[in-house]
Amino acid sequence: IRAPKAPELPIVERRNWLIHQHYIRKDYETCKVFIKEQLQETNGMCEYAIYVQALILRLEGKIQQSLELFQSCAILNPSSTDNLKQVARSLFLLGKHKAAVEFYHEAARLSEKDWEINHNLGVCCFFIKNFKHAEEHLNTALQINKHHKTFMMLGKVHLLTGDTDKAIDVYKRAVENFPENTELLTTLGLLYLQLGKYQKAFEHLGNALTYDPNNYKAILAAGSMMQTHGDFDVAMNKYRVAACAVPESPPLWNNIGMCFFGKKKYVAAISCLKRAHYLSPFDWKVLYNLGLVHLTMQQYASAFHFLSAAINLNSRMGELYMLLAVALTNLEDGENATRAYEQAVMLDESNPLVNLNFSIFLYNHGDKKAALDQYQEMERKVNLLQDSSSSAEFDPELMDMAQKMRAALQVADNVVWTKPGKDSKSKPNSAAATKTPGAPLGSNQALGQAMSSAVSYNKNIQLPTGTNFTFCRQECEWVKTHSRENVSVKLVQNAHSDLAWKSLP
Amino acid sequence: MNTTVPQKRTNTTDHKNQWLDAHYDPVAGLYTFSSCVDLADLSGDGESRLVVGDLGSGLSGMKLKVFQGTALLSESTLLDLPTGLVAFFMDLHEPRIPAVAVASGPCIYVYKNLRPYFKFTLPGLEVNPVEQDVWQQVKEGQIDPLTMKEMLEGIRKKADVPLSVRSLRFLSLETDEMDEFVQLHKQQPIKRQTVITCVGTLKKSTADEDGVSCLVIGTESSNVYVLDPEAFIILSKMSLPAPPTMIDVTGQFDVEFRITVACRNGNIYILRRDSDKPKYSMELSSHPVGLVRVGKNVVVGCTDESLQGFTQKKLWRTTLPAPIITMAAMDLPTRGFQGVLVGLANCEVHLYRDKNLLSNIKTPDVVTSICFGRYGREDGTLIMTTKGGGLMVKILKRTAIFDDRDGTPGPPLAQSVRLNVPKKTKLYVDQTLRERENGVAMHRAFYMDLSRMRLAAAKAYVKALESSLTPMSSSLSEPLKMNAVVQGLGPTFKLTLNMQNTAACRPVMNLAISFLYDENLYRMRTPYLRIPLLVPGLIYPVETLVECTSDKGISDIIKVFVLHEGKGCPLLTAHINMPVSEGLMLN
Repeated sequence: IRAPKAPELPIVERRNWLIHQHYIRKDYETCKVFIKEQLQETNGMCEYAIYVQALILRLEGKIQQSLELFQSCAILNPSSTDNLKQVARSLFLLGKHKAAVEFYHEAARLSEKDWEINHNLGVCCFFIKNFKHAEEHLNTALQINKHHKTFMMLGKVHLLTGDTDKAIDVYKRAVENFPENTELLTTLGLLYLQLGKYQKAFEHLGNALTYDPNNYKAILAAGSMMQTHGDFDVAMNKYRVAACAVPESPPLWNNIGMCFFGKKKYVAAISCLKRAHYLSPFDWKVLYNLGLVHLTMQQYASAFHFLSAAINLNSRMGELYMLLAVALTNLEDGENATRAYEQAVMLDESNPLVNLNFSIFLYNHGDKKAALDQYQEMERKVNLLQDSSSSAEFDPELMDMAQKMRAALQVADNVVWTKPGKDSKSKPNSAAATKTPGAPLGSNQALGQAMSSAVSYNKNIQLPTGTNFTFCRQECEWVKTHSRENVSVKLVQNAHSDLAWKSLP
Repeated sequence: MNTTVPQKRTNTTDHKNQWLDAHYDPVAGLYTFSSCVDLADLSGDGESRLVVGDLGSGLSGMKLKVFQGTALLSESTLLDLPTGLVAFFMDLHEPRIPAVAVASGPCIYVYKNLRPYFKFTLPGLEVNPVEQDVWQQVKEGQIDPLTMKEMLEGIRKKADVPLSVRSLRFLSLETDEMDEFVQLHKQQPIKRQTVITCVGTLKKSTADEDGVSCLVIGTESSNVYVLDPEAFIILSKMSLPAPPTMIDVTGQFDVEFRITVACRNGNIYILRRDSDKPKYSMELSSHPVGLVRVGKNVVVGCTDESLQGFTQKKLWRTTLPAPIITMAAMDLPTRGFQGVLVGLANCEVHLYRDKNLLSNIKTPDVVTSICFGRYGREDGTLIMTTKGGGLMVKILKRTAIFDDRDGTPGPPLAQSVRLNVPKKTKLYVDQTLRERENGVAMHRAFYMDLSRMRLAAAKAYVKALESSLTPMSSSLSEPLKMNAVVQGLGPTFKLTLNMQNTAACRPVMNLAISFLYDENLYRMRTPYLRIPLLVPGLIYPVETLVECTSDKGISDIIKVFVLHEGKGCPLLTAHINMPVSEGLMLN
């Protein structure tokens, strides 16, 4: 008696290709139907079907379930690195970085020289703040395969450990390998910008914009750089693109506002700044700029409110107090203006403008001795700046005003001028002053050229920034502009105090 | 089908100027992939037919369909899912009629003149000798099924050679089914088979259009086989690190060839004649969906919505507006044109030459397979099937010109959009002028009002402190804090007073709570409560019930006083705004 003929058992993997085809086409519904069918047919022994099911679950956000399925895959086929890698990946997504590291190490034992394992190990170590190991793993990953994600991560690790030079090296290598990757270009550009290497920054940001003219970050950074060099129309062109892409960005509207300000369209500037303020009510930079524009518009009462609000948000910045003092001076509140100036002088470390304005204020109020002190303090700061960098430049109006003050104080008190060093100081000042009229100096010029060439080569270059940083620079410029005006205005006395000050009832 | 309409060139990406709509049948009922579609002159009359391996429902109803013109010419049933379909010349007989090879499961079915001609089955894979031994033992009755299960589990965990289907199925069985299963299967030899995942053709010795071709087969077991077309023997076997998903072959087997394979691990490998291992590999950052060779370059479409060009290293990369569904080559030798057709999930088919978009065809449905070539007597025919099962045929116009425009885009459109800067009214301007003129006075008025407001606030605060009107008592002997919660919809509310002694260590004793309320509106069960000793730091909830006696939908304030026994002045006071009673009075 013969046993009945055994039925042909279907091959376990027979639909793997079909499941894969639907999976990569992102047709997950059909995929699930085939997976179910396949698992029924094989009594759940089809490893690949379970694997893809887990991948889909993970995409749907059911990470815990996917983890369990990957674990059962690993039981079906313990020698597969893929299964271990996916288990680790799910653990990583669940935030269990240490457990993920263990599984990655396990996977690494099965397959050496795997970029993915080393990269992910690096990322895990990064999250558990083990930067040394993170760096090692990421470097190993880069040796196996140069991948832009790995470069990005390694750069981040270096930045977090405070090693900016290494970070720049990493990004430089990355850009060499991926010259068209806008994310890398923008990151490197912003890094240079922070270090004050404007030409290099502009080069990279410009490249980023060539490949992706809609890159918001690059537009903002490059735009603010153009703005700093007075190229307001080009900057505005770029901002228009960004305004379409990200219409609710406070820094963008702040920069647009300051562009209008630079073009002397003050009403439009106020409109834009107010929008920025509406979008980000606690950003002191926007308030600072609003205060500045209102000062320029001679709306001192409004300026006072914006500036005191800014001070409430950031009370460590000397320039803010100086502007407030200017507003108060114009509101005929000498007493509080004096306090504001005192605070400004106390907080400020390097801006000669603060001392110059205070000096003028004191002089106008007849306190020549104190005015002289402030003037000398200003000269000290100027010298410091000149010593620290040979290319330090000063606003011609600042120098002009300083000379006038010197003359005024000299007349009043001869002793001052006998002090040593004074002459040597003032000479460079005046020399610079004669040079300045018209074109910007030194590096500015080069940057201007770089900009115009970039612009002609691709009609629309845009630049944006790690917003914060640029604003400060911009603001400083405006401050200068403003302070002149303040000086020329005749100051009268009167008493009033403001919110920012503890004031008398 | 040969309509030539002279047209002025307007917009080169407008497909109306480039393609004629020849045929669209939205209910053709085709479910297939680009790998299962081919065009071939199957009867030697110079007219090309469309051959489609249809997956039916994906579970059943698989068919081999042949179309001529707009009509279905013939169809024959397939036994299993077709994974790939190629037309190729397998011999030198005249007239030159190509055969059709359909890959399906572990077999290749060859059709000649649309009739089944030959079936080739892939050789079985190596079976684990230990597994074989175990089955031998159970066949001879030396071990029982349970022991066998243990042994097989052990093999599965350790061995390099995976178990056969039979053992895997056995392992998944319940104990009571095992015996029957073993009895049924033990007589058969153990087999381990693999499945074909992709198929391509490779010219044997000449590069002629109608030269004899070998079949190149990729399998689930991560191998690539080259088959002799006449004898159906394996000419060459190569191995890969992962199962292949797509294959592209160029060259001649006898001279030099290059097989480009996309694998399931997301890498692309290149195999050459002289080695059975991949010569080069390219690691992609995401899975490849389409693989097309243009000359010496390979164009790969990936799941991250990118199209990338390679030789042995990456040449370029461009981003697409939607996920890729399928890809195919567009080769037009008469015009010396080579491009890549990409079907996208947003119902568009893009034509690229390198990274430049030349044509954008909008389709009524998502295109799932594309085939370009000679159909009927028309050389430039584009055949597409859609997700809904439709069949679409388009013909390239003879006037169509594909501009090789510069890939760098012009200024983004957004740059010419005016900024939306809010306009300021005349009133605003007037107020600005007023401020300029009267700034100092305005500031003083503001300052005056500010001072007054501060004064008023300070006065109110002092008054509240003096008369213990606040829910906080800062007196040194009884520092207390209280908050009140009202729960319920009415007419009965639960009033919970949370008392806390904020002193560092001293308890508070002899406290009482009393309420002041409008007796016409509210009734309180216990209008006077005694409070137990309050230990510092703990929160004591004191509860009472308030009933609203009015049905007029009005509410009032209930005042709560915390008193110290023997003192007339309250320690603290809270005003509770009662909610309107929403419940109707029952009586």
